[in-house]
Amino acid sequence: MIATPASTTRWRRMFLIVGAIIVAYALLAPLTSLDAAQSANVPLLADRLWFRIATIIAMFIVMATAWNIIGGITGYAAFGNVAFFGIGAYTTGMLIAKARWPFLAALPLSPVVAAAFAALVGLPLLRLRGHYFAVASLGVGVAVGELVQNIDYRGQPLFGGASGLFLPIYSIDNRGLFFFYLMSGAAAVAIAVTWWVLRSRFGYGLMAIRENEEAAAVLGVNTTAYKVMAFALAAALTGLAGGIFSQWNVFINQDNAFPIEYNVQMILMALLGGTGTVFGPAAGAVLLQLLIQFLGGTLPISFDIPFVSDTVRPILAQIILGLLLVGVVIFVPRGVIDFFGGRSRLGLSYLRRSLRETSL
Amino acid sequence: MIDFVQLVILGLLAGGVYVAVGVGFGLVWGVLNIVNLAHGALVIVGGYLTWQLFTVLHIDPFLTLPVDAVALFVLGYTLQRGVVNRIIRAPLLFTFLLTFGINLVIVNILLAIFGSDFRSVTPAYSGQGLELGSVVIPYVPLISLGVAVVLAAALALVLNRTRTGLAINAIAADRDAAQLVGIDLRHAYAVTFGLGAACAGVAGGLIAMIQAITPTAGEPYTLQAFVVVILGGLGRVSATVVGGLAFGLVEAFGQSIPGSGSVFANAIAFGLMVLVLVTRPQGLMGRLR
Repeated sequence: MIATPASTTRWRRMFLIVGAIIVAYALLAPLTSLDAAQSANVPLLADRLWFRIATIIAMFIVMATAWNIIGGITGYAAFGNVAFFGIGAYTTGMLIAKARWPFLAALPLSPVVAAAFAALVGLPLLRLRGHYFAVASLGVGVAVGELVQNIDYRGQPLFGGASGLFLPIYSIDNRGLFFFYLMSGAAAVAIAVTWWVLRSRFGYGLMAIRENEEAAAVLGVNTTAYKVMAFALAAALTGLAGGIFSQWNVFINQDNAFPIEYNVQMILMALLGGTGTVFGPAAGAVLLQLLIQFLGGTLPISFDIPFVSDTVRPILAQIILGLLLVGVVIFVPRGVIDFFGGRSRLGLSYLRRSLRETSL
Repeated sequence: MIDFVQLVILGLLAGGVYVAVGVGFGLVWGVLNIVNLAHGALVIVGGYLTWQLFTVLHIDPFLTLPVDAVALFVLGYTLQRGVVNRIIRAPLLFTFLLTFGINLVIVNILLAIFGSDFRSVTPAYSGQGLELGSVVIPYVPLISLGVAVVLAAALALVLNRTRTGLAINAIAADRDAAQLVGIDLRHAYAVTFGLGAACAGVAGGLIAMIQAITPTAGEPYTLQAFVVVILGGLGRVSATVVGGLAFGLVEAFGQSIPGSGSVFANAIAFGLMVLVLVTRPQGLMGRLR
């Protein structure tokens, strides 16, 4: 490491302070929209649109942090985690819409079903390595979505089919606030789980697998069990986010429960923030999701991009996202946290060094 | 019995497209160790090129295939030289993300140019076929199969008979040794990716004649190319040809099961892949390395 300890700790302290302020603001600002606060003349700091965006960000914090457990800590490039999000969404969705369960009773089953599914497919899949595992997991993501949309039972689509699944609206005061805090709670759970994993025997086993699987096995790590557990843990957290999403969004179908682009977005978030760390994926999720929302024109603060019509705008957003993906992979492969905090000097020399390390 | 024969013929004909899609993908994977998630996007670029030449200049679609190949070779060479070469020594995940990013950019540029309407290439002879008794062999897929086999043969010839091809083989065997004997790695890598892209372009031209295309129509082909290469066995063109034809057959029979239809194409492809990986990881034709 070229970094001097003093500069690293200074950066780290600054990050923690800034991060804590942002989190505190994000958690407290929505309270100003409550009737009690309004009647006490507290200025409105966050309206409904902001809740929605903040809830989406919290959802991605869960997914990116969960991906980090299998992708970052264990080193298995899972490309199909959206399958668990969709399974979680459909578990809660089916229990509420078809079996008429109350939401809070249905929700805990989402992570359980997602984890069970992950353990089931994980047993054969996690025997594969490298490219094979990555593409096989991508295949799972695609195939599960397809099956959910197309499975018929006695001539009727079992899971709502192509027209999707409608859930009854969850009746509670301040719904937006409720789901924001619920999703933030899930994000906190995901981060706490990661923190625990990184300090546990289990986590050290996973890291040993990442660094050298044969050596880990020789040292007595039950690699198969560890890998499957890590996969199932990631699936459970992702499924939890999916379960909350289904009741929050009231409507789920193949497009919003199994969006293929989430697979890559969660990886990019983890990568952007720094894989294998506790807060990295969360930081990446905030940054990237704000950028995506901004480019998509859904943020309250937005501006017109010259020469670009509203119809082309989402396309342009995707192109910029693609270029960002290429740029991040080439220039900051160790994440922005490393970019700002890990080295003593920033700037061109860092980018040039990153480039030299990986180029031909 | 007639149905069975018809099904086998249709499966083999459909396999032609998979051969064309698979050979380029397998080349890039086997030599550069890159699973190119942008392969499907390159395929569709070829498809739009053929569509454009056919609708604007009224050129016979099969005659546009060389144009596709040359244009995609240039695009592929540039991409590898300019972008992908920069992360060749990076971990696996990065090549995935990079090629996915390229995929995103290409698909959305196509969306911006052509919109999301379905486009199809329909020459006068499309829809007609050769009738042998009660078995019908449609012309377009028949010629496509021929083109795919010729493409694979040409690729094998280039790889085994030309200096550049031998250099590519040397890289596949041992990159560092290849560099020691004076092979310009950057150029050879770019040529390899260019050849892969050229095959994708030809495949795209064929696909545009067989199905209606949209900018996102290439995505399933990336996964299917992967399955085809695994099915045949990584590392040889001939193995990919077998894999492509076998995949076409499996798909044709899968779709003939009542009540399934084509909606489970990805599920079938994926199930087949896991089956092969678990039972015979070197592929139908592969050798253990």
